[in-house]
Amino acid sequence: MKDLVRMRTSLKEETERILNEQIKMEAHSSAIYLSMAAWCDRNGFDYSAGYFYKQAEEERSHMLKIFKYVSDLGGTAVSPEVTNVPQEFEGFRDVFELALQQEIAVTNSINRIVATARQLNDFATDQFMQWFVQEQIEEEYVARRAVELFDVIGEEGVGRYMIDKAIPKITYGEAAE
Amino acid sequence: MNSEYLTELYSNTKGSSYQCDATNRIIIRFGDITVSLRITDFLTFKRRVDSVDIHTMIFNTDDAYDVEIIDAPRTDQLFVLNLCDLILLRDLLAGTRFALDLNTLLHERIYNAVVY
Ligand SMILES: [Fe+2]
Ligand SMILES: [Fe+2]
Repeated sequence: MKDLVRMRTSLKEETERILNEQIKMEAHSSAIYLSMAAWCDRNGFDYSAGYFYKQAEEERSHMLKIFKYVSDLGGTAVSPEVTNVPQEFEGFRDVFELALQQEIAVTNSINRIVATARQLNDFATDQFMQWFVQEQIEEEYVARRAVELFDVIGEEGVGRYMIDKAIPKITYGEAAE
Repeated sequence: MNSEYLTELYSNTKGSSYQCDATNRIIIRFGDITVSLRITDFLTFKRRVDSVDIHTMIFNTDDAYDVEIIDAPRTDQLFVLNLCDLILLRDLLAGTRFALDLNTLLHERIYNAVVY
């Protein structure tokens, strides 16, 4: 008897399912960053808005990367439904704390995928996901630095104005060493 | 259907499933319906059947929840299922999937094993 499933795809059912969940999570991240961008815009935090617009784009590119991987391996990539996107936030600082929490949740999720891939001897997915493992180090670093600015600069007086200006200057890598 | 190419994958009280190696299709016979599906369509069909909210079917007294209508991808067959049918169809598809996975495992571990 031919192995029809394997002829169709090299992805295991479980891997396909968790990758599709990650696709959804990246899409959700993108949507949250977009609403954060809008919130910053309407509250006068121009630079932060720009930062979140950029993040939103980046999350979409993460989503596409996984989407194409699933498709390329013969799996069924599911175009995600995005719901429950918060549109209002408590304040400037809360936006960044939420962003950090979001990145931490993504890191955990990525780690779970790698663990599952290893359990299933799915070395291709393991290796594919390593890019995301690396990416999350940067993502968390930047998000954490942003939150720290609130303590370093302080929110009083022109504090928020200064924080907003400092946000797009956060970089990970050489510049930050 | 040429039986020399057919392998039975699973059966229960309401139906049975086969793999046809001549057409690379999965054949599902359920009640008086027979459909022949490509493997991707079989997987999509299984997802559809599995995603029905059985809980709502049981507890919602509205007539609309008494039957579930599911179409098999790229066929003109509709499956009109009451609760009992749905559970039997799920069982049939799950058993079929299991047989397919078992076959994959056999290929991985036995048929593809290099012998020196
Ligand atoms: Fe991401
Ligand atoms: Fe991110």
